[in-house]
Amino acid sequence: MGAELRFPLRYRIGGLALALLVTLILAYLILPQFIILPLSFSDRSYLSFPPTGWSTEWYRKIAENPSWGEATANSLIIGIPAAFLSMIFGTLAALSIGRGSWRSAGLMSAVVVAPIMLPHVILAIGLYPIMIRLNFLGTHLAAITGHTVIGIPLVFITVKAVLAGQNGSLELAAMTLGANPWQTFWRVTFPMIRIGVILGGILAFASSFDELMLSLFLTGAGTRTLPKLIWEQLNEFLTPTIAAVATLIFAFTLVLLAIASGLRGLGSRYQVKSHG
Amino acid sequence: MAKHGARISLIDLAKSYGNVVALHPTNLVIEPGEFFSIIGPSGSGKTTLLGAIAGFTPPSGGRIEVDGIDIAGLPPYHRNIGMVFQNYALFPHLSVFDNVAFPLKLRKLPRAVIAERVGAMLATVRLTQLAGRRPSQLSGGQQQRVALARAAVYAPRMLLMDEPLGALDKNLREEMQSEIKLFHRKISSTVLYVTHDQDEATAMSDRIAIMNGGRVAQCGAPRDLYEHPCSAFVASFLGGANLFKVTGIENRGSGAVSCRTAQDHVFDAVDPSSGSRSHTSYVLRVPAEVIEIAPAGGEVTAKEMNRAQGTVVDAIYTAGTFRYQVEIGPAEPVSVRRPATHRATMLAPGQKVAVWWPASSTLLIPET
Repeated sequence: MGAELRFPLRYRIGGLALALLVTLILAYLILPQFIILPLSFSDRSYLSFPPTGWSTEWYRKIAENPSWGEATANSLIIGIPAAFLSMIFGTLAALSIGRGSWRSAGLMSAVVVAPIMLPHVILAIGLYPIMIRLNFLGTHLAAITGHTVIGIPLVFITVKAVLAGQNGSLELAAMTLGANPWQTFWRVTFPMIRIGVILGGILAFASSFDELMLSLFLTGAGTRTLPKLIWEQLNEFLTPTIAAVATLIFAFTLVLLAIASGLRGLGSRYQVKSHG
Repeated sequence: MAKHGARISLIDLAKSYGNVVALHPTNLVIEPGEFFSIIGPSGSGKTTLLGAIAGFTPPSGGRIEVDGIDIAGLPPYHRNIGMVFQNYALFPHLSVFDNVAFPLKLRKLPRAVIAERVGAMLATVRLTQLAGRRPSQLSGGQQQRVALARAAVYAPRMLLMDEPLGALDKNLREEMQSEIKLFHRKISSTVLYVTHDQDEATAMSDRIAIMNGGRVAQCGAPRDLYEHPCSAFVASFLGGANLFKVTGIENRGSGAVSCRTAQDHVFDAVDPSSGSRSHTSYVLRVPAEVIEIAPAGGEVTAKEMNRAQGTVVDAIYTAGTFRYQVEIGPAEPVSVRRPATHRATMLAPGQKVAVWWPASSTLLIPET
């Protein structure tokens, strides 16, 4: 065995310092999210840290109170259609701007992305009178509409990123081979952007699942979403039940994240090198 | 496979974008089974022409007839034309087999027929072993062969190729040139090949159209174009020739002329127009390989020779050839190309030399 080549000490100290810094930043980013875990198993009747004892009482409370289940159902009833609508419209917008030859493509991109840059309260105040007018207020449809507006930019961004990495001549090639525009989309374009569409859909769903401001304005007693119920509970009593709910949402979101990162890995297989 | 290439006739085909003319009304006939190349600098209209034939660029006027039927109004997917793209445009999510089967599946052929025809085509391009691979797992040359197979598997009567070798390195390019020629002979479709590389076009084509500024500058067999260029543009684009600007022309009868160059040399030349000159400015064109060179005083004197004295400013040896730059006047370099035979010694830069060449190889052509 030959002697291993080692860097001089000062470089190794620098590397160590960098590793430490990265660890601290990661801890800063992640640790606060995990605080809710011990909080949710606390034996006190208020939110306290560090916990003094251990109980599953708060999880039992969730199971006993039907309003948590109803709110979860509402969140799904709103989030899933909103994600689907976002996938359709976001993909169409990305295709048009990414593949078309618009002179004002930059401006159009900005308009599509605007809803996630602007404060949700502006959107909420704007949608409120319209929903009253349409007599939609307090229905699932109102929240689905609102959440689709903030979901479209997310799908738009992910699909457009995938499109940008792909060659526009693939579609032209499909057409010379005999594929009409519909066949070209389903056999060539969609298989290539599918990952982006699904990823965007997951993001749109997650953002709907987490959205409070629009739900405050647009949902009623029967269509209360999970974030809105948490909000109401926080105002009345600050029990570890909130932490337990948050933990469950956290676990659910982690699953979504895992699916998303799994998809990302799949997507990279389709990168073509055109040379070599 | 029987001969089945189509005759393509472009009739007054034109394209403009607003006030910008990309293609002036163009007439070309490409014969059935012909290997026809379009060359020209970028912006010369060759991509516009190709786009119009493929159906990507709607023409502003004129007709595109395939065996007498106008296809100018058809979308690309109804034209039944095969096309090979510069970056191959292989579908990354499909295997080699499925890429080649793609056009056959669209034509709803029975599964067994598809398997048979794809198999035969992959054998033609020697990719049978790689049928299950993804395009990203292939080399550039292999991807190119998949693209050829995919464009030809449905036996289109015309194949368009848009700089298909542009992304390959030099050795592979030359290998693929013969490969494409061989492929053309096997499938016998009419091939329209677009490139900016005049050597590639010369090596592969039956005929070539040279484009410049949205027009066909000249069209003909490679050797015709090289030996009888109709303008200085064609001569300089094909390369390998010296062009001397002419300031005065004196007729000497039966197509022979005597010309004064910008540097005050007087050279005898052949005037292909036999005296009916209508252009404002002319050049003399002398191929580099007809010029002989010897140290000053060592020249062979003969009749009907143009000659000049000069200084070697550059001498290069490449693959069996000496290439010299000789200055025969202020800023008037002459390219000379001589075979480097085993007895020949290479002249050195700075050396005084004489150059001479036959008047019959000196061509008077319009500058534009």
